[in-house]
Amino acid sequence: MNGAASGSLALRLAAFAFVVVLFQIGVVSELPVFGVSADLCSLLVAFVGLMCGSTAGAATGFAVGLLVDLALLQTLGLSSLVFTLVGFWCGRLRELRDPQGPFTPLVVGATASAVALFGYSLMEFMLGVDAPISFELLRQIVLGVLVNTIVALPMWALTRRVLEGALPEDPRRRRRRRSYTTGGLSPLTKP
Amino acid sequence: MHDKTVRRRRAVLALLVVLSLLLLTAYFGEAPNGRLHGVQRDFLTVVSPIQDGANKALKPIRDLFGWFGNTLHAKSQLAQAQKQTEQLRRELVADQGEKRSYRQLSSLLHLDQLGVNDYQPVTASVVGKNPDLWYSTVDINKGESAGIHVNDPVIDAEGLVGRVATVVSDGAEVDLITDSSMGVSARIGTSTATGLLEPKVGEPNDLLLRYLPANYRPNTGEYVVTSGTVSSEPSLYPPGLLIGRVSSVNEESAFESVNVQPIANLHSLDIVQVLTARAGSQPANLSRLAASLPAGQTTGTAGEQLASTQVGG
Repeated sequence: MNGAASGSLALRLAAFAFVVVLFQIGVVSELPVFGVSADLCSLLVAFVGLMCGSTAGAATGFAVGLLVDLALLQTLGLSSLVFTLVGFWCGRLRELRDPQGPFTPLVVGATASAVALFGYSLMEFMLGVDAPISFELLRQIVLGVLVNTIVALPMWALTRRVLEGALPEDPRRRRRRRSYTTGGLSPLTKP
Repeated sequence: MHDKTVRRRRAVLALLVVLSLLLLTAYFGEAPNGRLHGVQRDFLTVVSPIQDGANKALKPIRDLFGWFGNTLHAKSQLAQAQKQTEQLRRELVADQGEKRSYRQLSSLLHLDQLGVNDYQPVTASVVGKNPDLWYSTVDINKGESAGIHVNDPVIDAEGLVGRVATVVSDGAEVDLITDSSMGVSARIGTSTATGLLEPKVGEPNDLLLRYLPANYRPNTGEYVVTSGTVSSEPSLYPPGLLIGRVSSVNEESAFESVNVQPIANLHSLDIVQVLTARAGSQPANLSRLAASLPAGQTTGTAGEQLASTQVGG
């Protein structure tokens, strides 16, 4: 990817992340479904990782986490740490496996949400928040994952639409094209 | 080329993780008036007007989605509300007589020094909300310029909502009563049984009223209100603010305690009122004293720990 394209991607990512965080804080957080609110931020980070790779995913995770912690006056660095790891993991998934199935956003969104919610809870326990590991806590986490899974597909489509045109090349397509141009057999010429 | 990419990827990850950990350590270790907390307050000052504008622009969307949930919720509550109205009407008639005699007695005994009259309400809109399980906070669009100070009580039409935790010129952050840092001196109904009302962290819809007198037998469905300042136990909250209803009684604990369900719908706060104390009044002095206490003395609240240390022993 050249410099202009990566600049355009960074600019789009920054603007989109800012809008999503504002929308999350101002609207989505006040609309509970089954008693919990959807977390668009963890989905955004996961999908950026899945579309743009591990480095962009981790950087977006860090920036979104920092924005969330700053805007909500939370412990600074906590969301950044969790989202950085989520973004990186999703990016690695793309680089190593490049999943293409129609349910990939659902599975990745659900897993990323679960990792973010459990990771965040674990960090809070480690930082000394006095809370029992109750059935209610587990129920809230499971419901949170479920709600995030429901909104994963629209969020995936929106993220894709916003970043379209500035996305790095699909690695599988790149591999396929390289094999044709460097002497590999085209499927048409295969015996 | 491949090695270079791998090295770069690992370096970026390591850098971001280390940065996060550094931020976490520095933030956790510093005082509430430290540099990082200051950056957060400055950020809130900058973002508050944007949040306010975005909140107004996006209100129709929120209302549209909220309408479905509210309609279902309202239908299920209608029958219950009608029954309650009947009961309350009967209680009101009985209470009016008692109120008259209370006024006469309290004016004689100067018991109304910390009443609601010492507060001036400032109406504010909720412009942001923290969604996670660990923090229950909302951002409002009024701040210091409207006379709001840290530790001012916050109410809505239904009852006590929380207290101001951080304030900037045109915005403030409110810790809801379900936030892990909260503690409110409260009593049950018309009784004199006071205790400390705390959130059940991880159970965002429940509160726990602890340290009730051992001989007191609470009943399910009774109302829980703020106790206000009682003799030597100072409280930041005026007496008689409705908080919730007793949902169940805990039999197994050593201290008498009850579970309380908040009356205010903390999930859909729109307009709230901040009770600002007049300068020089007793609540204002108490609030200033609470704000000046060192951070982390008990559970982090500078406010009701005054009551908690005494009520809770």
